[in-house]
Amino acid sequence: MSLVELKDVVKRYGNNTVLNGVSLGVEKGEIIAIIGRSGSGKSTMLRCINGLEPIQGGSVAFDGRIVNDPATDLRELRQHVGIVFQSFNLFPHLSVEKNITLAPKVVKGMQQSEARLLAEAVLRKVGLGEKIDAFPDQLSGGQQQRVAIARSLAMQPVLMLFDEITSALDPELVGEVLKVLEEMARDGMTMILVTHEIGFARKVANRVVFMHQGKIWEQGPAAATLGNPNTPELETFLSAVLH
Amino acid sequence: MTYRFNFRDVFAAWEFLLDGLVLTLQLSLVSIVCGLLIGIAGAAARVHGGPWLKTLVATYVEVIRNTPLIVQLFLIFFGLPSAGIKFDANTAAMVALTINLGAYSTEILRAGLEAIPRSQIEAGQALGLSGLQIFRYVVIFPAFRLIYPALASQFVLLMLATSVVSQISAQDLFHAASIVQSRTFRDFEIYTVIAAAYLALALALRFLLGLLYQLVFVRR
Amino acid sequence: MIRELALIDVLYLIAAMRWTLALTAIAFLGGAFFGLFIALLRIAPFAPARWLGAAYVNAVQGTPLLAWLFVFFFGLSIVGVTVSPWIAAAAAYSIYAGAFLGEIWRGCLQAIPQTQWEAGASLGLSFSAQLRYIIVPQAFRLAIPPTVGFLVQLIKNTSLAAVVGFIELTREGQLTTATTFRPFTVYLIVAALYFALCFPLTQVSRRLERRLHVAR
Repeated sequence: MSLVELKDVVKRYGNNTVLNGVSLGVEKGEIIAIIGRSGSGKSTMLRCINGLEPIQGGSVAFDGRIVNDPATDLRELRQHVGIVFQSFNLFPHLSVEKNITLAPKVVKGMQQSEARLLAEAVLRKVGLGEKIDAFPDQLSGGQQQRVAIARSLAMQPVLMLFDEITSALDPELVGEVLKVLEEMARDGMTMILVTHEIGFARKVANRVVFMHQGKIWEQGPAAATLGNPNTPELETFLSAVLH
Repeated sequence: MTYRFNFRDVFAAWEFLLDGLVLTLQLSLVSIVCGLLIGIAGAAARVHGGPWLKTLVATYVEVIRNTPLIVQLFLIFFGLPSAGIKFDANTAAMVALTINLGAYSTEILRAGLEAIPRSQIEAGQALGLSGLQIFRYVVIFPAFRLIYPALASQFVLLMLATSVVSQISAQDLFHAASIVQSRTFRDFEIYTVIAAAYLALALALRFLLGLLYQLVFVRR
Repeated sequence: MIRELALIDVLYLIAAMRWTLALTAIAFLGGAFFGLFIALLRIAPFAPARWLGAAYVNAVQGTPLLAWLFVFFFGLSIVGVTVSPWIAAAAAYSIYAGAFLGEIWRGCLQAIPQTQWEAGASLGLSFSAQLRYIIVPQAFRLAIPPTVGFLVQLIKNTSLAAVVGFIELTREGQLTTATTFRPFTVYLIVAALYFALCFPLTQVSRRLERRLHVAR
């Protein structure tokens, strides 16, 4: 059974059909890179996986549970799916430690001492151990994004979603974030990334999914698909992005 | 005929004025605290409540904000007895001021809640927090910090507006002034002294509220 | 002698609204006059002027309107200055409204970005010319929604004139209550009449504000 299973997913905003029958299966341990133009539906598809976007057709399943079923306890489900956003979305009024320990304490009932140890551990993983008492506005963009990753990791999810997490960063800060992702991949985390970083996708992803006009236009093994696109749309996209 | 200013008569009655001042402060404090609680509940209802609740709170807010405080006060003190609800002057004053501030606070706090970006709430949802937990840990503190100046101004306005309760003979500072006036006929002196007293109160309140902001919302 | 509350009383209440409106108009005109002056004082490139404006605003915003009314209505006559009720009311409300309008308009003037002033200065315009041709026209548009909002405050504040015996809607309500002994009904009608005046204006102010934000 796949960890994530999308079947014929349809999503509309008013009259605008953003996802037009999308089907995708993701196995445990896989690393999927989703690429495509803006407006192709990539972020929307990602956000359907943890129920941030309601869908109008088809089904989304995580670990066997139907996400779009009203009876599903989304809160419970979201404890196993981590998501990192383009604009980090750290809580500005809380320190780095409190940002990370909030959910473990409040949702899982963890004690403060245990939570702080957990925070220290995940911060070490992203290379920011010394920033545990800092506040978001004291950190650079790259550091904030790494804290955001640490915050999601603290809930010990089985799946991590990344929504264009380097798009809002200054170029020189992108590298430090990608390094963290590479390490997570090496540790065997199942990851789905919406990204513009084609080089990173080629290097780290198992599979590349190219989205166009709300559909999965082409997908396949990363190096092969990116090196030899089958469809003209992907070819055009790649030449535009890589120049 | 030249008028001889005589402030001494006014200052001689200082103990009497002080009693009035105490009630003014009591009324202000109670109304601010209770009005704020109503405001938090009302704002939460307007942002997260069902359609029926939203309309109810909206109606409350619009009715209070579009009618004068003095009329609300008269309704509560003079009008309610015929419906069976009798308040003494001080209680009626407290009720009227609280209901009045509650409406303004609801509006101010609502603006604060709505100013929190959706992305913050999504981040909380993505971490598995419940709606109530998101409200408590993610939304309310930044919202409060945002609207604090507007709320503080409203509190000062309320404190000044307590002078209106003198008209139902609640024994506040302004009422005390009228009594002193009726004894000494020093209208000009007494009311300028009272104005200065309120000004001092307003400045003190502003200062305290500013201090509170520094203590609670400014990181050291 | 107690009388039954009749339609004629309601009509008298409605008729009293004209005094409320008249008082509001006078208060607004007087307040606008002072307010404009105060707003300009507060942005003047001359520190004592700014200080004076700030002192005025803080003094008035820190005192109850009732105090001003009493000082002008009773205080002045005691010291030997006779004033008609209308002059006293006009003076008290103008001073009061002037401070608040001054603050609102100052805020609007200051909301115009510094870059606009710089653009004017680079073209060689004087301070008053920059104000007149560049800043004020833009600030004016910004000022309309909150000014309309303050108008609503003013209408409600005219109710305090009843306390000094000035005849307007609230005072008429007090008199009607005294003769009919139906305070609940009478004040409910009075409240409804104020609501009828204020609510539409509040809505207008909101609509203007929305349109302003969309346009920007």
